[in-house]
Amino acid sequence: MLSIQNLTAAVDAKTILKGLTLEVPAGEVHAIMGPNGAGKSTLGYALAGRPNYDITGGSVTFNGEDLLDKEVHERAAAGLYLSFQYPLEIPGVPALTFLRTALNSQKKLRGEAEVTAPEFLKKVREVAKSLRIDMDMLKRPLNVGFSGGEKKRMEVLQMAMLEPKFLILDETDSGLDIDALKVVSDGVNALRAPDRGMLVITHYQRLLDHIKPDQVHVLVAGKIVRSGGPELALELEAHGYDQYLGVAA
Amino acid sequence: MSLTALDIFDPSSYPTRRDEEWKYSDLSRALRVVPQADDVHRLSDRIVIAAGETVVRFETSTGEAAVTHEDLHFAVGEGARLTRVVILDEPEDAVSIRRSTVETAPGSVFKQYVFSTGARFQRFETHVTHAGHGAEVEMNGAYLLKDKRHFDLTTRVNHAEINGITNQMIKGLVKDQATGVFQGRIYVERGADGTDARMRHQALILNDGAHVRAKPELEIYADDVQCAHGNTIGALDESALFFCQTRGMDEPTARALLTHAFVMPVAEAIEDEALRAKVLEFLEREAETYHAL
Ligand SMILES: Nc1ncnc2c1ncn2[C@@H]1O[C@H](COP(=O)(O)OP(=O)(O)OP(=O)(O)O)[C@@H](O)[C@H]1O
Ligand SMILES: [Mg+2]
Repeated sequence: MLSIQNLTAAVDAKTILKGLTLEVPAGEVHAIMGPNGAGKSTLGYALAGRPNYDITGGSVTFNGEDLLDKEVHERAAAGLYLSFQYPLEIPGVPALTFLRTALNSQKKLRGEAEVTAPEFLKKVREVAKSLRIDMDMLKRPLNVGFSGGEKKRMEVLQMAMLEPKFLILDETDSGLDIDALKVVSDGVNALRAPDRGMLVITHYQRLLDHIKPDQVHVLVAGKIVRSGGPELALELEAHGYDQYLGVAA
Repeated sequence: MSLTALDIFDPSSYPTRRDEEWKYSDLSRALRVVPQADDVHRLSDRIVIAAGETVVRFETSTGEAAVTHEDLHFAVGEGARLTRVVILDEPEDAVSIRRSTVETAPGSVFKQYVFSTGARFQRFETHVTHAGHGAEVEMNGAYLLKDKRHFDLTTRVNHAEINGITNQMIKGLVKDQATGVFQGRIYVERGADGTDARMRHQALILNDGAHVRAKPELEIYADDVQCAHGNTIGALDESALFFCQTRGMDEPTARALLTHAFVMPVAEAIEDEALRAKVLEFLEREAETYHAL
């Protein structure tokens, strides 16, 4: 479903991704772990199409189409969703307005009918309830003054509303309290489907207890240096990244 | 120079840019194209709001005249309330100067909301004197300028009496080769203790080539006052823009959403429901063409 071949990318002329290869088939959940500064978030941004992230080599196909050819919003409409490690604050735009604008923009681009206000509200209410998000919070400007954990929950709410085909979760677990971690994980698990793929970036095994990955990859210095089954996460937790730091250099 | 001395038909009476008050707005140049006499709209008026009275005033430019020169004086009586909502929706070749002076009696309230899309030359001046103690003044505004339009919002507030409150929130958007000017001065006289004055100007420059000139000033000669001013001029937050796009909005939609949200709070603060609706409708309508790239 998502196929990344030998990807190299630079930010402000500094090469961060150095030949990264990764395949995530439909229906699978892959985890990426790796030390701070390894390039995990950079991978998410590069896939989403962030300006100033120059793709200097390699290729990415998404459902057989060239992903890197598309503009940011076209990637979203094609079904790619990036949950930000640090979600942005959108002053003056109520979360509900933001979400409805986003949803209808995607639908328009795909040639689908827009959602009506009542349909939209009905669905938001259901999703918000399942994520234990208060409707009042959705009337406030998106993420402005929200706590770290609330912002992460909002990322998952948007995901559940937009129903993307492929999810990149960049440390969605950081900042969540124990109960919220469970609620958010349930929300993510509810989205697991045979035609949907996920890339879960995390530092902690704890998240992977809830969202069981099919594969775990170790990203060090811009490359995948090792891949394995779920047990790899446990091994990393026990031994850290020391043994890989030499390999990547 | 005082605007009352200005005679549209006498170029020697025009202020020049050497005049400190006019350095960002070149009126002489704009008036070089003064048209026929019948195309000039002149208005001079004195409006008295009696003690305890409440008046809500809506002013809008019809944009028929090529040159507009207005001079208004408001006297807001004791405990009276004047709300003034102004929409300046002029054609791009219009030249207009509007000046008003406001005097507040004890315990009175003056609130002003100005919305502008600019013109070839457009200046809106408000001179307020806290002539009575404990008066409350709000002077807000928003401008959305494009093409070569010019808008100059000049405000002068003089706290001459104790316990006066002044609040200003001005928000602006400029694009293309437009120029926005904000000159705001709050002057707190000796003895005007207990003054609480705040002035905030925020502008977004949406492309290179557009300009914002801002000169916020506070001059304080009294003790025991609370005064603050803030002035931020910058570009649209690129990260926020990217964030919107990752959720599926194309760039014009994302820009429109963010910039519209930026100026909205000024309109939303209008208490009068009918006028608020009128302004919101004006802004929505403007947004449709303004934000198209
Ligand atoms: N604008 C930039 N200019 C130069 N270097 C940058 C820029 N942005 C990011 N980097 C560098 O890129 C590297 C990778 O950063 P990235 O955010 O992808 O790391 P990460 O693996 O997500 O780390 P963490 O686990 O801390 O979130 C870091 O060394 C970072 O300092
Ligand atoms: Mg990161």
